[in-house]
Amino acid sequence: MPLDTSTYNLALLRVDGRRWNELRRIHAQIRTQAAADGSSYLEMGHTKVMCVVTGPSEPGPRRGVAGAGGGGGGGGAGGQSKEAEVVVNIVIAGFSSVDRKRRGRGDKRTLEMQSTLSNTLAATLHTHLFPHSQINISLHVLSQDGSLLAALINAATLACVDAGIPMTDYVTACTAGSTSTYAANDEGADPLLDLNHQEEQELPGLTVATLGDSDKVVALVCESRVQISRLEGMLAVGVDGCKQVREILDQVIKAQGQKMILEGTVDKGTGLNDMDLD
Amino acid sequence: MADRRRINGPPGATMAPVFEDDAGQPEIKNGKGRDRAPNVIRKTFLKTGVTPSASGSAYLEFEGSSKSGVSGLKLSCTVHGPRSLPRSSPFSPHIVLSAHVKYAPFATKQRRGYLRDPSERDLGTHLETALRGAIIADRWPKSGVDIIISIIEGDQDRETSKSQGDETWDMMNVLSGCITVASAALADAGIDCVDTVAGGVAALVQDAGEDSTPRIVVDPIPSDHEKVLGACCVAYLPTRDEVTNLWFKGDLPASDAGLYTQLVENGIQASRNANRVLVECLGEATS
Amino acid sequence: MASSQHVLLSPAELSYLHSSLSLTPPLRPDGRSPTQYRPLSAETGILPGTNGSARICFADGTEAIVGVKAEVEKTKRRWDDDTIFSENNHHQQQQQQQQQQQEGEEENEGRNNNDEEGGSSDWVELTVEIPGYRDDDSGTVFLGQMLSEALLADGGFVKRLRINRRFHWKLFLDILLISPPLSYPLPLLSLTTHLALLATRLPKLKSEGDEDPFFDDDWAAAPYLYARDPATKRVAERPPVTLLVMAVGGNIIFDPSKEELAVADVVLAVSVGDDAQGKGEDRMDVDGSNPGRNLKLLSIRTVDPPSRLTPPGVANAANSAYGHAQVVNTGANQKMPEARQTESEAVEGVWKPPRGGAKAVVMGALVQKVLVRGGVADEVLDALEGVDTS
Repeated sequence: MPLDTSTYNLALLRVDGRRWNELRRIHAQIRTQAAADGSSYLEMGHTKVMCVVTGPSEPGPRRGVAGAGGGGGGGGAGGQSKEAEVVVNIVIAGFSSVDRKRRGRGDKRTLEMQSTLSNTLAATLHTHLFPHSQINISLHVLSQDGSLLAALINAATLACVDAGIPMTDYVTACTAGSTSTYAANDEGADPLLDLNHQEEQELPGLTVATLGDSDKVVALVCESRVQISRLEGMLAVGVDGCKQVREILDQVIKAQGQKMILEGTVDKGTGLNDMDLD
Repeated sequence: MADRRRINGPPGATMAPVFEDDAGQPEIKNGKGRDRAPNVIRKTFLKTGVTPSASGSAYLEFEGSSKSGVSGLKLSCTVHGPRSLPRSSPFSPHIVLSAHVKYAPFATKQRRGYLRDPSERDLGTHLETALRGAIIADRWPKSGVDIIISIIEGDQDRETSKSQGDETWDMMNVLSGCITVASAALADAGIDCVDTVAGGVAALVQDAGEDSTPRIVVDPIPSDHEKVLGACCVAYLPTRDEVTNLWFKGDLPASDAGLYTQLVENGIQASRNANRVLVECLGEATS
Repeated sequence: MASSQHVLLSPAELSYLHSSLSLTPPLRPDGRSPTQYRPLSAETGILPGTNGSARICFADGTEAIVGVKAEVEKTKRRWDDDTIFSENNHHQQQQQQQQQQQEGEEENEGRNNNDEEGGSSDWVELTVEIPGYRDDDSGTVFLGQMLSEALLADGGFVKRLRINRRFHWKLFLDILLISPPLSYPLPLLSLTTHLALLATRLPKLKSEGDEDPFFDDDWAAAPYLYARDPATKRVAERPPVTLLVMAVGGNIIFDPSKEELAVADVVLAVSVGDDAQGKGEDRMDVDGSNPGRNLKLLSIRTVDPPSRLTPPGVANAANSAYGHAQVVNTGANQKMPEARQTESEAVEGVWKPPRGGAKAVVMGALVQKVLVRGGVADEVLDALEGVDTS
């Protein structure tokens, strides 16, 4: 189903009713999973991802080699580096898209996202504090509707914060696009913020991730053809979107922190009262 | 999972032409059925030391059914090891056992690919469980052994394709053969075991005909029977009277506990019978 | 994902665990009773993009999500369907079919040779994803096969997927373990799959007979895969559940944790279904009192106990560090005195991995314990009934 972009010029509204600079609804939670060191759940529109962080920990025995083999003795080779290794594992559930499409682990797109994510995070996390160890980030995509890489980066940031891994600042990501296709060669094309699946299929777009409140770009992925003249506008909109995302994530983390402090003080309070009664 | 490294056969299945039977034998569909007593397993041929290059090997063949066009099961097993583990692998205080079961591409009606499919991996896991109980693993620290079984011919009725569901029951027969042949090959390789382990299958079957009641038979050939209601495959150590692997599949009401127990007992019986062949074969090899 | 993950417990810890679990009643590390499951929280219908979905969190933090998606697929005509049978035979077949349709389809199924009403097991595709493990890892495959085996065991499940003679639903079950695999995930995955299937709905069929199917757009009208009783809102028949049960010493322990599995003598995965047909009669038979369910046994698999791969302990007597090892080395003992010693006798308090299999009686007892009326399987099914799946 081709996307009809002709209507944009009439009301300046996109297919899902947003204006050019509007984000979709972002809903995020941290500490969703009790067993993990850090975990998060993030929705950007209909894109839903879950992230679980384990580590920093001693690199486990090389998996997959003899499967069940090997006994209790841990340790083993690997992990000799001076910095922690960030291992990212993305599982795209078969039911995540409208038509079921099974992607194996060897899927090239998934592998590329994994390496992008692992490079981005390795640059931001203070991996030098954890030599000879491994930080395992496993991401599950439950539902996808565009801006997948951006959602994955945001979820991973939240989970790393929850895991208490020291990092320079938030890494927040967002997508940006342009209102008309490359072929249209339209000089007056407006940039768009936060593409959904339909827009992502048709229009040129890029994913940009920035560090905290600054304008420092830590990741930039553009896989589509776009006129060089439009790129600057897209980038500016994207970076601006990242700041908005940062605000939202910051609120989520602060709210969780407040909740935890509150819960902590409540416990303490009752404990003190009990003592008074005695 | 496309295998791009080799030139594969045509993707679509091709069927050999099947001609209508003579008027004289339209009954072949219902077949002669089983001509063995319910507690007798098929004749088995077992020989060890067939592959000189492996540290241990064995070949097993089950007799085919009396019906024409039904071949028996043919398995060959090689054991490589005990040998030292690769340097990269972590320390293991035991022998690391890995079992690979692979159908030859031509073993069944449906052509099998070169890569192991889930059912073959599943068989491998079952086999591993069955053998791990028999091997005295702590006598071989820091070493590994590979058990490789190729199914040269699966016992499937080539005549009919009606029996689609049979494949799941065939797996039980194949597993029992795998256990027996692997045990022989392990003995041939001189790997210490607590006992020889042999596989046995028992099934609750229903024969054709209106008035037949379900009965329990050992070593069933699914195409001999109208319907298989449930089956179990047992790996059994006779001298210790212990079961190392039990795999049951079917649909049994829980209220009738006796049925399940009988099935397992019959499976053990079948395994004892197979073990007799195994012991005789190993005796011949040493004498 | 094998059951035998690396458990970092020393022989001394293993020995302690084994003896505390062998007590009567057993003392489990997390304080549960032998038949008690880990508490869990469950929700269904969490993913609107699927036909059915469920999420379960166990109290130890392990979590799984299952999504079910259905697609219409053309039923493969089997090559012998109409071609091989002589005219005569063909005729009979059709008559038979008509008869069947009149009689209500379920009765004849068992005896009928041409299983028109049945389905094929390819109509269900089940995949298991465990983070950190390849999807063709033998353990992951084993889990997947075990779960699909239970589902397909009685052939009743695929019958639900039939649309007409030419089309059927193809069901994709994707099972995701979200948390790191802290314990053998079988019970968790099985329960989550159970709930997801209960919550699964397929669009309402509007076409009739063998024509190309088309469906009602109204999702609210979509019927459940497992039909609800209109009066009581209860599910008449339920999908199977797979229980993990192990024996250690003389005790039978349900839903073992990873540490408990490390000292197990035998571990079985038992799949049970709820036999709905028999239930009605039974309810009438027993007056008033809750008779429990009519369970049926669908499949049993032996799970390789990881205890076989644990490092053995060395008794003081055999430990050269304590200076006791200068025992007379005579005859056969000469080669490996320590190994022979540890093999020959069990020393109290020294961990020795189990060797050999289990007695058939023990396995029988495990299965009995699962199936006993009003037992654990009943309890689990009752508990799952409490989850709102509408």
